[in-house]
Amino acid sequence: MFIDNQIPEFDMYENITTTTTTTSTTTMASQGTSLEDFDQAGHMCNNWSPVVDWEALSAPNGDDLQGLIQSMMDENTPSESHYPSFPSSGTFRDVLSHSISPESQMDHEEFTSATTSTEDAKGLNLIHLLMAAAEALTGAHESRELARVILVRLKDLVSPNEGTNMERLAAYFTEALQSLLEGTSNNNNIKNLFNHQKDEHHQSDILAAFQLLQDMSPYVKFGHFTANQAIVEAVKDERRVHVIDFDIMEGIQWASLMQALVSRTDGRPAPHLRITALTRGGGGGRRSIGTVQETGKRLAAFAASIGQPFSYHQCKTDSDETFKPTGLKLVKGEAIIMNCMLHLPHFSHRWMDSVASFLAGSKTLCPKLITLVEEEVSPLNDGGFVGRFMDSLHHYSALYDSLEAGFPLQGRARALVERVFLGPRIGRSIAQIYRSRGEEKGGHCGTSWSQWLDNAMGFSPVSLSFANHCQAKLLLGLFNDGYRVEELGCNKLVLGWKSRRLLSASIWTCPEYSNLE
Amino acid sequence: MAFEELDPISYDDMFCMDSYSSYLPLTYDVNYGVDGEINSEPWWLSTPNLCEDLISPDLPSFNSYSTTTTPTSTISNDLTSYDYHSPTSNVSKKRKESPESPQRTSHIPRKVQTRGVNKECDDGDVIVEKRAPAKKAGNRKTPGKSASTTTNNGNSKEGRWAEQLLNPCASAINAGNLNRVQHFLCVLHELASPTGDANRRLADHGLQALKYHLSSANSAPVSPSGSNFASTNPRFFKNSLLNFNDINPWFRIPNSIANSSILQILSEEHSQVSLHILDIGVSHGVQWPTLIEELSSRPGGPPPLVRLTVVNPVSDNNQSGGTPFESSPGGYSFSSQLLAFAKTKNINLQINILNNCPLQSLSPEIIKSSKGEALIVCAQFRLHNLKHSVQDDRTEFLKIIRSMEPEGVILSENNLDCSCISCVDFATGFSRRLDYLWRFLDSTSVAYKGRDSDERKMIEGEAAKALTNIGEMNERKENWCERMRRTGFIGAVLGEDAIDGARALLRKYDSNWEMKVDEKDVCAGLSWKGQPVSFCSLWRTDFRTNTP
Repeated sequence: MFIDNQIPEFDMYENITTTTTTTSTTTMASQGTSLEDFDQAGHMCNNWSPVVDWEALSAPNGDDLQGLIQSMMDENTPSESHYPSFPSSGTFRDVLSHSISPESQMDHEEFTSATTSTEDAKGLNLIHLLMAAAEALTGAHESRELARVILVRLKDLVSPNEGTNMERLAAYFTEALQSLLEGTSNNNNIKNLFNHQKDEHHQSDILAAFQLLQDMSPYVKFGHFTANQAIVEAVKDERRVHVIDFDIMEGIQWASLMQALVSRTDGRPAPHLRITALTRGGGGGRRSIGTVQETGKRLAAFAASIGQPFSYHQCKTDSDETFKPTGLKLVKGEAIIMNCMLHLPHFSHRWMDSVASFLAGSKTLCPKLITLVEEEVSPLNDGGFVGRFMDSLHHYSALYDSLEAGFPLQGRARALVERVFLGPRIGRSIAQIYRSRGEEKGGHCGTSWSQWLDNAMGFSPVSLSFANHCQAKLLLGLFNDGYRVEELGCNKLVLGWKSRRLLSASIWTCPEYSNLE
Repeated sequence: MAFEELDPISYDDMFCMDSYSSYLPLTYDVNYGVDGEINSEPWWLSTPNLCEDLISPDLPSFNSYSTTTTPTSTISNDLTSYDYHSPTSNVSKKRKESPESPQRTSHIPRKVQTRGVNKECDDGDVIVEKRAPAKKAGNRKTPGKSASTTTNNGNSKEGRWAEQLLNPCASAINAGNLNRVQHFLCVLHELASPTGDANRRLADHGLQALKYHLSSANSAPVSPSGSNFASTNPRFFKNSLLNFNDINPWFRIPNSIANSSILQILSEEHSQVSLHILDIGVSHGVQWPTLIEELSSRPGGPPPLVRLTVVNPVSDNNQSGGTPFESSPGGYSFSSQLLAFAKTKNINLQINILNNCPLQSLSPEIIKSSKGEALIVCAQFRLHNLKHSVQDDRTEFLKIIRSMEPEGVILSENNLDCSCISCVDFATGFSRRLDYLWRFLDSTSVAYKGRDSDERKMIEGEAAKALTNIGEMNERKENWCERMRRTGFIGAVLGEDAIDGARALLRKYDSNWEMKVDEKDVCAGLSWKGQPVSFCSLWRTDFRTNTP
């Protein structure tokens, strides 16, 4: 397993920024030193969840109703307090699942909520308000005026820069809904929503935030390491390897792959590694090309420094950002790896069609391996916009919690990550959900890409190795113990925070390829 | 029942003066929320002409005091054409030509607003009357100009967001879906406010009503808090009521039509007949000084005896269960003041107050009716409290009235769909009650110009009883008329005086108010922003039918 290997020579920030050089060489070892901090802070920060005894209310008979109301009535001066103390003990997740579909039996948190604090009650109120706003925007009784009033109230209550996790998170969801509200008043704006928050952050901020995210959570590494381990295993007998990377970004994934390839223990020389990075043909393509070129230079330098045979190419997508396999330069006898990392924080939901063309196009290339990492969404497809909105809220609240648990005292660092990545990502995500309302279920918007690969594209799952599984567990061991790894089927590992699945890594191959073997 | 003892001093000044000032249009802009401010000078006593003006058919003159005429050509054509064709424009002209009364403007400090209403004179010049105090626009053909910012989209459901939370919540209660109920209650809690715009107020009253409903099976249900008629003091109550009538025609128009109709009926009797009014209403006496004034100046002199029998609501301890507007604060009584005022007008008035007397138990003996008097029943906003479905108390009561063979019955009621539990389910009924309360709160929001006051709180809190009371069951005008005919009454055409007077009176209020006369049912319907609110009707005993 290569996670123990250090990769100090690869500096992804070379010539780009000086502000983050001190943290530029992330290693598992260095993370291990702060484990005690995590343990100390762990539980302290996990119990924010609003506390409502929904369990006790699940049977709507007269007695329970009265009990509920009675306890509600106990609040003394409702007009003076904005935050009614609801009857309580339970979790955010319970609220969500019950709110959306009372029948659904989602996993309940096992950790206990000790107290009913004002914060908890406020968090619960925020959830109710966000849900009501989402309903008002799209529900059966669509009312833009109601949505507007609710959003005004929400903006009074929260700010993205202060308050509890739920409050900061609610601020971004409020912004996202506000964009929808403004956008829907003018249909021409709907498309612009996707560009709404683009490029408003300085490049050095983005890199710093990315580095922090790497340090604070296994979120990025989990995907890269699982994919790389699968690649290393798949190409162990190959002499030439060709990785086609959907979104190379700074190329940080490949430094560790090279490290693993050159340090193989079977004594054979490292295979030749060729990486083809996709560049965007559409808007913003120029910057994209520049970044991809920079990445190539750094990767080449790094490969040379460790003695890894390496070559680098770019493949431009069409102007509509679809991928054409014919644009690739292929060499006979090389093992093709399609690498598709969709969990990276800057991922734009504009690229949905692009992803589809990439995965569909790979079929003609007969790749040896397809590595796919994507965010996990609940299979709650009948919830419509509101259901998916709430699922998204659930997802990001888990993410916020996990980040806070990872770096409880680094509020400013978290704020940077939230501002640079999560806020814009929430905005794009909600806009995407809104745009895909009413689309056929058969589309890939309602389901996961891995399902799509399996059902619609007919790719075959490749079993994950025991080593890969162990590696993931080892990785999570370096972070807060709230993280979980879960095996789904034979070819998918899921990273979760408590009971919420955050993202999954799955590996696939061409059916023809598996027949050949 | 008891004869109220005359107490000529205690509230004398207060009552008489306020009852007058309230009915003078010039005060409505300034004195609400201010207890007794208007009492400083009894100027109305010194200008008897003014009182005549008030009761004369020339009611449009309300709008034309402090008139100055300025030639101008800037007024839009639609304004011009409207007044030109308006049925009241002749009256307006007449008023304009009459000499101005300087007293009218000299005593009351007020915000002077102007509005232009122009008329084409015979020579074609355009004359503009600048009037004060003004409502936002006097011309109903340009409603856009008068749309209040606080109540934009009052008609469209889109702007009425409070109902979009309250109605689904009521539906969730119907369906027993606790999580949804909880969700809506929580959201309502965040958005509702006892102050603020009409939506926030409706959300607040609605939220309290839903909590009350949900807790009503408990031994100690949680009644909506907040002030209402019964919870205030008599003086504040009366001043508030008078002021409310000045800024909102909700009761003022029905009262005006009732008084005009009483005069109309009386004019058809021979001159020496006594008048007996059976008051089953919610005016708490403020309606009658005007009638007394009118009777005293009637051609042929006042009737030899005027009897007023007031049927007070049977008090119940459940504050939330009562019908809106019928109760009054403990200790409130208007008899002595009214008697004193009648004396000054040389009206031989007798007042008989019936307490703890259910409507169904009324009889000629209890009301002490006598032959040779003209009995007029004045039923305003009270009869809907009677049950109508399983047991048709409404019809039964009308039969009792019919058996008294009154000369006339004046019936004013809310003109909304029934919301009782035997007609519709809880959620539907609740949404209809909300619809009623919305019209009220939306109109008071305009009337009080969005400002908050204890008075507004009390008036609105009283109206909000519509959400919680048990007896409240509105009914459409058509059903009421049908019931009246079935029980042996014939619809009578409301007199020109009544209609013209009411129309003219209405012009001093917000232009979202409208009055329409329904030819078929011979009713006058009052509506707010195009939505029906109430209707007024006049009925005569049909002697072709047998007494039930």
